[in-house]
Amino acid sequence: MTQLLATTLPEHSSDGYVAAAYIVFFAIVLIYVAIMAVRLGRVERKVEELRGEATKSDIPPARARGIADLDESNPNPALPDKGQEHALEGVPHGGGRSEGHRQAGRPL
Amino acid sequence: MRRPSLRALSIATILALCVSLSLVFFYAPIEVEEGFLQKIFYLHVPLAIVTLCGFVIGGLCAIAHLRTRDQRWDLRSYVFIHMSLIFGVAVLITGSIWARGSWGHWWVWSEPTLVSFLIVMLLYATYQPLRFAIEDPERQARYASVFAITAGAFVPMNFLAVRLSASYLHPRVLGSSSNLPAPMALTFLASIVAIALLFATLCAYELAAKRTRILLKARSRILGYQS
Repeated sequence: MTQLLATTLPEHSSDGYVAAAYIVFFAIVLIYVAIMAVRLGRVERKVEELRGEATKSDIPPARARGIADLDESNPNPALPDKGQEHALEGVPHGGGRSEGHRQAGRPL
Repeated sequence: MRRPSLRALSIATILALCVSLSLVFFYAPIEVEEGFLQKIFYLHVPLAIVTLCGFVIGGLCAIAHLRTRDQRWDLRSYVFIHMSLIFGVAVLITGSIWARGSWGHWWVWSEPTLVSFLIVMLLYATYQPLRFAIEDPERQARYASVFAITAGAFVPMNFLAVRLSASYLHPRVLGSSSNLPAPMALTFLASIVAIALLFATLCAYELAAKRTRILLKARSRILGYQS
């Protein structure tokens, strides 16, 4: 890639190196942002699924509100209550592809 | 997710990056010895500083986790270290590019600054495999915190040891007898602020994403039990 940059960029090789360094850095940042965007899409899909399940099943309003709190447009998200905080304790940061199944986790 | 603060942070980061890049390419003078190639300095050195600070902050968050047993500190420690690893890769790549242009070699094994940074990176590269090899979340968090503290303590010691030793090729900019001219110093400062803001913003997004995911998993489990 550096050879390609060296042939397409201005004559002085130092310009090519500077351009390569800055391009590499911003490429890393853009790749990271793209990965985050993909994960966000996955989370949003999951939220929609949960919302659908919540409306279908006979869940009390408090529970449904809890799921609705994941809605980003909700200006007043409620903090998890005590029961849900305990539920958080069992969830590893990097763990599990499926809910409720604890396994040696992959990185989030 | 606290949307207003994330938005404000993102805008501040973009502005800072724009200002920094403008200063680098339109304000900072061309250095006499290295010429235009020296511009990499305004990217590489701030990245290195922020990376090392990130590792140390990860260690401090790990100390807070062990003291308080609050999982949020463990999450912060993980995110800071994870982000520092990404920035560290950028440091190594930009440093190699600068080394190639400046010294004619992609890597110089006899240079202590380069090798010590690589050692720190390799050390932290074991953090995630170590962490995710442990199934139990509490043990995972505890062991990861101990690792983060030990490695975080190693970073400043390593830095000091390298500074005290002779440096063969790696230019010493900070604390050297030949201080930076004012325009260069201002540009360097702006670059550090911009990179630090970028680091903080990306960490904030990562933290928000992870908290949301954890909450989502917990509520999926609740819903699963309910139905």
